[in-house]
Parts: sequence; C-alpha cells; structure tokens
Amino acid sequence: MLNIEGLDELTQMNTLQQLIYYVQQNGSYLWEQFLRHFLISIYGVLFAAIVAIPIGFYIARHSKLADWVVGAANVIQTIPSLAMLSLLMLGFGIGVNTVIITVFLYSLLPIIKNTYAGVKNVDNALMDAAKGMGMTRWQLTYKVELPMALSVIMAGLRNALVVAIGVTAIGTFIGAGGLGDIIQRGVNASEGGAIILAGAIPTALMAVTADLVLAWLEKRLDPSSHKRR
Amino acid sequence: MRLKKRVKVAALASTAVFMTACSLPGLGAGLTEEGNIRIATQSSTEMVILGYIVQGMVNHYSEINADVIQNLGSSTMVNQAIVQGDADVAAVSYTGTALTGELGMDPITDPDEAREAVTDGFEEQFNIKYYPSYGFENTYAFLVTQELAEEHDLVNVSDLESIAEELTAGVDNSWMEREGDGYRAFLDTYQFDFETVYPMQVGLVYDAVQSGDMDVVLGYSTDGRIASYDLVLLEDDLNFFPPYDASPSVPFEILEEHPILDDILAKLEGAIDTDMMQEMNYIADEYLLEPATVAREFLEANNFFEDSEPYLEPVGGE
Repeated sequence: MLNIEGLDELTQMNTLQQLIYYVQQNGSYLWEQFLRHFLISIYGVLFAAIVAIPIGFYIARHSKLADWVVGAANVIQTIPSLAMLSLLMLGFGIGVNTVIITVFLYSLLPIIKNTYAGVKNVDNALMDAAKGMGMTRWQLTYKVELPMALSVIMAGLRNALVVAIGVTAIGTFIGAGGLGDIIQRGVNASEGGAIILAGAIPTALMAVTADLVLAWLEKRLDPSSHKRR
Repeated sequence: MRLKKRVKVAALASTAVFMTACSLPGLGAGLTEEGNIRIATQSSTEMVILGYIVQGMVNHYSEINADVIQNLGSSTMVNQAIVQGDADVAAVSYTGTALTGELGMDPITDPDEAREAVTDGFEEQFNIKYYPSYGFENTYAFLVTQELAEEHDLVNVSDLESIAEELTAGVDNSWMEREGDGYRAFLDTYQFDFETVYPMQVGLVYDAVQSGDMDVVLGYSTDGRIASYDLVLLEDDLNFFPPYDASPSVPFEILEEHPILDDILAKLEGAIDTDMMQEMNYIADEYLLEPATVAREFLEANNFFEDSEPYLEPVGGE
C-alpha cells in the first residue's frame, strides 16, 4: 500500500548506524525541535532573571527579608518537575507557555541566591569609598555592586539554564514540543533505541555547551581576573 | 528607591504580559495561534500517526491551519484538554478506554452497546461528538503463526480448544491479573486452558511466537509486527474482549464553528482498516520514519480519500 522510496533494511543495522540514518532522514525536524527546546529554556531563564536579579538586590539590602524569600524559592525547588508541570497545567492549560512558566519558577532560586550572595560579598571598604566619592544609591548599585557581583550572578544563570534544559525535556507531556518529543517517540517505538539517542544526545550536548559557554562568560566577568592596564 | 520600584514594576509587567500573552518569537507555530484547529493525541506511534492524518485532511480540504499536540500523557488528559478548550479535536479514543476511563463506566463487551454508551455518554457529559470508528480496533488479540493456523485450520479463538492442551502461550504481564477481561475471566468464557502460560512484556510476544518459542501469544491487534511476521490474528468469536474501536471526537461547539470538520471526519469513517494501521505502525517503527511522514504518505497513497462520501472540494493547501 505505502510506497516509500529508499527504505533500507534497518533491522540489519546496529544502533549507531540506525542513529546516523535517523539523523540523515530527519535532520531538519531534529534541528527544529532543538531550536525550540533551546528557546523554551532561554525564555524561562530570561524572564526569571528579569524578576530574580532585582529581588536579589532588594533582599541584599533588607537582610530580614532574605530568609523568607530564599526559603520560598527553596520550597518551589523541592517540587518534582513533573508534579509542577501537572499542577501548572491545571491553571494555565497545556502548551509551551506552561513549560516556560515552570522553567521560570525553577530558575528563581539559583538566580536570587547568587545575586544575593554576590551583592552581599561586595567589599565594604569599596562601598565606603564609593559613598565617599558622593555616589547616589543608584550609582552604587549600577557602578559598584552590579559589576562586582556580575560573575556570581552569571554562575546562578548558568545553574538555572542547565536545570531549565532538563525541565524542558519533560515539557513534551503537555504538548510543548522540543527534543522531549523525539525521546518520547523513541520510547514508544518498538525498536526505538536509536530515536531515543537522537533526542537524548542533543539534549545533553545542549546542557553541556550552555554550561561551558556561561562558565567562560562568568570567568570573563569576574573582576579579579581583569588585567590592569 | 524610586528607580528600584520602577524596575520592579517593569519586571512584574513584563512577566504578566508573557504569562497571558500568546506566542513568543520562535515558538509561534502551534498551540496558541487563534483560529487554528488543534488536534490532541497521545504518545504511541499509532496515535501520533492518526493525529497527523487528521491534520493532513484538514489542510487538504480547508483553509484552516491545523496543529498537532502530541504526547499527552493519557486519554483522560486529552479529554481534559478538550473540555478546557486547550484543544479542539481528539485524534483518537478507543471505545473500551473511553468507557472505563473518561466516562467511568463498567466495561461492556458487546461492540454495538459499548459504542452507543460511549457516543451518548460523550454527548451528555462533555457535549462532544464521538465519531464512528476509523475502521480498525486496537485490542488484545490471540496470534499464531501462519503454519500453525493452516495445520489446524484456525480462524477463531475457540478453534484453539481442541489443541490447547499442547500449546504454550505467551501473554502480556498485566493481562494475567486483570479483572473483567483477564486470564481468569478468559478461562470462564472460553472453557479451555493452555499447557503453560508464560507472562511476559507485551513487546516481546511477537518475536516469541515468530521464533517458535511460543505457539500462541496475546498481543495488540494493530502492532506492525503482526503484518511483518505474517502472523494470523484469531477472531474473538465469543466477544470476550471489550471492543477497542478507534474513533476521533470533537466538541459540538467546535463543529458549529468549523462545519467542514464534520465532513472531513466523516470521510475518514471506515477509511483505515487493521492491515493499513499495522503497516503504518510497522513502517514508522521499523524504518524510523517520523509519524508525520508516514501519515502524509498514507494520505497521498489514498488520494486523501477524495472519492469517498461526503464530497469535498480540495483546496490543495499543504
């Protein structure tokens, strides 16, 4: 009935050959899902950064609040991701936005914590000197605290992004797409080992690459690594 | 401090926008686009293929865009997505599952009664139209090799009775313990037992019977390996297993909005028989083809069912 050309006898191939064959056949689809996966993770972390970095600065100034805020973020972190996804699905429905919200929530803790720690650890002498120069509150934040804390904040973002890539993979269960779709397809196929790898390897690669790139950025931003001119 | 506050307000505003807003750049395709028909389906190869078949048909006969939401965890989740308005079409439900799952009723083994109960139940409880079957069912089925079937002239399950004492049977683990349509109930209905019954993982039974390790096995009727191993599917002549006919379903509200959807799904009624479904499953699984590709090839091979009732003018959109 179906007359599809170029079907090789796949049952004779080993998993690695099957994997290569699958990637050749479905390269553009794979790339599409890869990009989608990456974007979902990035958006979630980005929105979390927009909210969490100001919160981190705020609680660094109001230490009484710090325990409460970090505690709350901690509680969010302890909810298993599949449970969180299902919970949010009840409110936001299925689809990609719910996954982004999930990623957002998981990213809050590492970013808040690191921003808090980074700002707290800015040398008091430095702050005093800045104040002595007549800097306003805003200038202090913008010209002293932020540059000094940036590498630590970056470490938080790095943490968040790696977690995010993992969380996005299970977003497939609420119809968000991404590489999880491919993994899930492999799990359901009768001989799907190669398909699972085609989804899992890019996911792992993405996480490792994101980690390396952000680690490099973190290093670049570390004020102590700057050479004096 | 004023500035800080402003920053915070901006942050809150932007998150609020993103939470309620539709699509972010790069993620546009799909779920949130207004006016699109959203087809929800679960994760097995067969279910995803059917999702893409419905999508292909909608794209062929209408100007409406259709998206497939795949990999939803369970049939109840698909149903919930539809009831909540997150999806418009359930690509496939199986009578037996719909009856005990979504409707929470007791299993009914008579196919016509079961279908009627589901059709009525969906209309009353969810205001959803439950369509007639695509033309195949995916149920438990006893399978034997071609040779054994010819040797003993096997067509129905009851034909096994005379030789059952010499046969080894491989069955799905979970079937052994199932109430209602499990092993014990089977003994009651068919009144015979096999020499030995080996419970195993359901994915293994096809190979087990083909290689001769087992004489008869209990598998799923649309598995692609039935076709590729040339196995014979024995008719459940005593209607022991509840029917698992595959059908799409759509809320009446959506049908009012898109009347053409009703005609499109009517075209698919009875259009896919068990052999076709087995072949599609087989090709997708064995040749690592994406279900979307298999669905497209299938529709093209059948000319999008242009000749079957009701007549629809193809708009040719891809």
